[in-house]
Amino acid sequence: MEDFAKKLREAERLAARSSVSRRDFMQLAMMTGLSAAAAGAMFSKAEAAETPKKGGTFRMGMEGGSATDSLDPRTYADSVMIAASLAVYNCMVEFDSAGNPTGELLESWEAKPGAVEWIFNVRQGVTFSNGKTLDADDILYSIAIHRGEETSSPAKGILAQIADIKAVSPSQVAITLSSGNADFPVILGDYHLVVVPNGFTDWQKPIGTGGYVLESFEPGVRLVFQNRGEYWKEGRANFDTVELLNIQDVAARTAALQSGQIDAANRLDARTVDLMMSNPDLNIVRTKGTGNRFCFVSRVTQPGFDNKDLRLALKYGIDREKIIDSVYSGYAVPGNDHTLDSFNPYYNTEMPQRAYDPDKAAFHFKKSGLSGPITLKTSEGAWGSAVDCAQLYQESMAKAGITLNVEKVSADGYWDNVWLKEPFCAVYWGRRLSADQTFTQTYGSGSDWNDSDWRVPEFDKLVEAARVELDEAKRKEMYFACQQMIAEDGGMVCFAITDYLDGFSSKVMGAAPHARYDMNDNRIAEKGWFA
Amino acid sequence: MLRLIITRVFLGCLTLLVVTLLIFVATEILPGDVASAVLGQGATPDTLAAFRIELGLDRPAYVRYLEWLTNALQGDLGVAMTNKRDVIETLTPRLSNTLFLAGYAAAIAVPMAIVLGVLSAINEGKFIDRAANVLTLGAISVPEFFIAYILILVFATNLGWFPSLSTVYADMGLWDKIYVVALPAVTLTLLVMAHMLRMTRASVLAIMSQPYIEMAFLKGLPRRRVILRHALPNAAAPIISVVALNLAYLIVGVVVIEVVFVYPGVGQYMVDGVTKRDLPVIQACALVFGGAFVLLNTLADVLAILVNPRLRHPR
Repeated sequence: MEDFAKKLREAERLAARSSVSRRDFMQLAMMTGLSAAAAGAMFSKAEAAETPKKGGTFRMGMEGGSATDSLDPRTYADSVMIAASLAVYNCMVEFDSAGNPTGELLESWEAKPGAVEWIFNVRQGVTFSNGKTLDADDILYSIAIHRGEETSSPAKGILAQIADIKAVSPSQVAITLSSGNADFPVILGDYHLVVVPNGFTDWQKPIGTGGYVLESFEPGVRLVFQNRGEYWKEGRANFDTVELLNIQDVAARTAALQSGQIDAANRLDARTVDLMMSNPDLNIVRTKGTGNRFCFVSRVTQPGFDNKDLRLALKYGIDREKIIDSVYSGYAVPGNDHTLDSFNPYYNTEMPQRAYDPDKAAFHFKKSGLSGPITLKTSEGAWGSAVDCAQLYQESMAKAGITLNVEKVSADGYWDNVWLKEPFCAVYWGRRLSADQTFTQTYGSGSDWNDSDWRVPEFDKLVEAARVELDEAKRKEMYFACQQMIAEDGGMVCFAITDYLDGFSSKVMGAAPHARYDMNDNRIAEKGWFA
Repeated sequence: MLRLIITRVFLGCLTLLVVTLLIFVATEILPGDVASAVLGQGATPDTLAAFRIELGLDRPAYVRYLEWLTNALQGDLGVAMTNKRDVIETLTPRLSNTLFLAGYAAAIAVPMAIVLGVLSAINEGKFIDRAANVLTLGAISVPEFFIAYILILVFATNLGWFPSLSTVYADMGLWDKIYVVALPAVTLTLLVMAHMLRMTRASVLAIMSQPYIEMAFLKGLPRRRVILRHALPNAAAPIISVVALNLAYLIVGVVVIEVVFVYPGVGQYMVDGVTKRDLPVIQACALVFGGAFVLLNTLADVLAILVNPRLRHPR
């Protein structure tokens, strides 16, 4: 009890600098015996204790950039450009810390029953950095650059569902989809979909509605932003200057943060983060289980893997806890053999977590009637520690009497030559925008990326029905069933979902965990301030 | 002499041509292309095809190479395929950074290595000889990033004397640059010292046992004069070529140091280019690196002739 009270005081302090999520705070507060209402009030009070202050130069050191970066939203792929983009531009839709869509430049929306026809209201009184006032045509243009025959935008696929889009008035956009999708506003929150003025093409001198303007940009080295002076979001964009440094090496990032050369760093090393947590000058923000989903994926149409018992043996035979402890130093949560994370509102909380059970693995392997070794292809090219994970997997399978051959293949061209081709290989999946997108892209029959080749008509029907279901309770039930089907029958062994680990100087406020991405949804330049 | 220089320059250009051809072929052989590297694993065949046509990758390889070559010969290295930035414009500041770091390290390492090398040769087997050998060989025996991290830990994190980030920008003053680049320059110094020091020591020692040196001593010349006037010029040729080799290494071989100290040099640019299969970028970097090697080696040969009396006046 004593221990909890101490933790709660610490959590209260963190809440004051908004470094802890409401969900985590409430859990802790209720463990000490507080009622939910009292805990909620306590959190709000602590959170309101600080109002943002203006000023200062905020220096971020981030991994995830390269000398080939560009501020053309059709080329974004990694953290540095996403964070840079969100300083200069605004998106159509933003997400709150729990992951629910809230209005950004599209202020509000409404769907007709069936979720096919949508009306979006464009926020009024917002100006671009060149003085132009935002209207519906800018929104249309900013969506149009990701559509059409010749675009190479990664967002092309998610926008293919738009059958018709037009401006009803300068402040309203009407979108008709080819089929209903209750999650459509979530889709419009994709980070590629930033808003630029109608007809804009000069990506080296970006014009946006964000809180900062670009001062200089050396790809792969540094970006500098200056405050625009006016911003339509109250209490946001508080720094005078923001510097974003590319620091690829995690040790270099850590050293720079410790010696005070930068105020924020992303993707800390799980192996050294414990040491940094004990440093009073630093504030480590951990977002549990929203990072990459690490999987070993079998193609269920391939001989051997078409046997459901074999797939169950693969799932029971992996020691998730051991991999998480030894490879990720405990900074990951076990996966439950599907790629939805527990931050998603539709995460199946009733399904028990699958654990390592060598007896069950041996039982199902025997029942499958198969014998002989199983070959797993893995590579540093899948993700950095994929080989380590595979070797631990081999060990735990051996205890169940199953021989797993781990074959290490070349990192170069891994995604071209191995993924979607080999019967059993290492794969990671990033977070998808919504439950619907997760299920459609990863497990849908029509998806090119259905890497387990698990194509089940009943599952597709369930996902389709859930997509247009506007009744939340019913929808939740359907998505629960979807997860159950994948975990029971699918070809994917999803064993871990990593935590995001950010480091901040303790004078940085507003560094909260976020359901979507690290660095407070890559918006820390906009959301943070100096104490 | 002039003929030698002209021949070397001509051969150098030929080498560069072969290098670009080899690199082009190697990049073609690598699995994946710029389109799949840029668009990532989430690309659909549809967007890939569109991007390839946009970049002109649908044309045969030899056409693309010849086109690149014609433009390069006219001084146009093209634009990066990935972000459409002018390659020369991006490369120039990075090249000057690389040269700055290489020059900085060389300015410390070369005089120190030669002086210590000569001193060790004179004091063969004595304390200073052994100390210099042990220290420099020790430094070269551990991986470069290890030295870098040790220096960062001691001088940046614990003592706070120097910054751990050595990122330099265009608008930085010279003294600021010298200050922030101190740690990588020292790291590189430690890496290249041993080779030059050992070579200096060995060639001076070899000369010192020659009869004409003994003769000079017998004439009653002071030791200093014997070493500087009689021994060193004759020992210079191998020293110069080792120095040239190490200078070339300082320019082309420091990617790891660039990453650890976050230094915006050419090495990182080339690695990023290779990861994305961005051919104009890779070729431009290869030209720079190849050019550095050819230039420094030619310079070393010419200098070796100039300092050596016997080579200068061939009989």
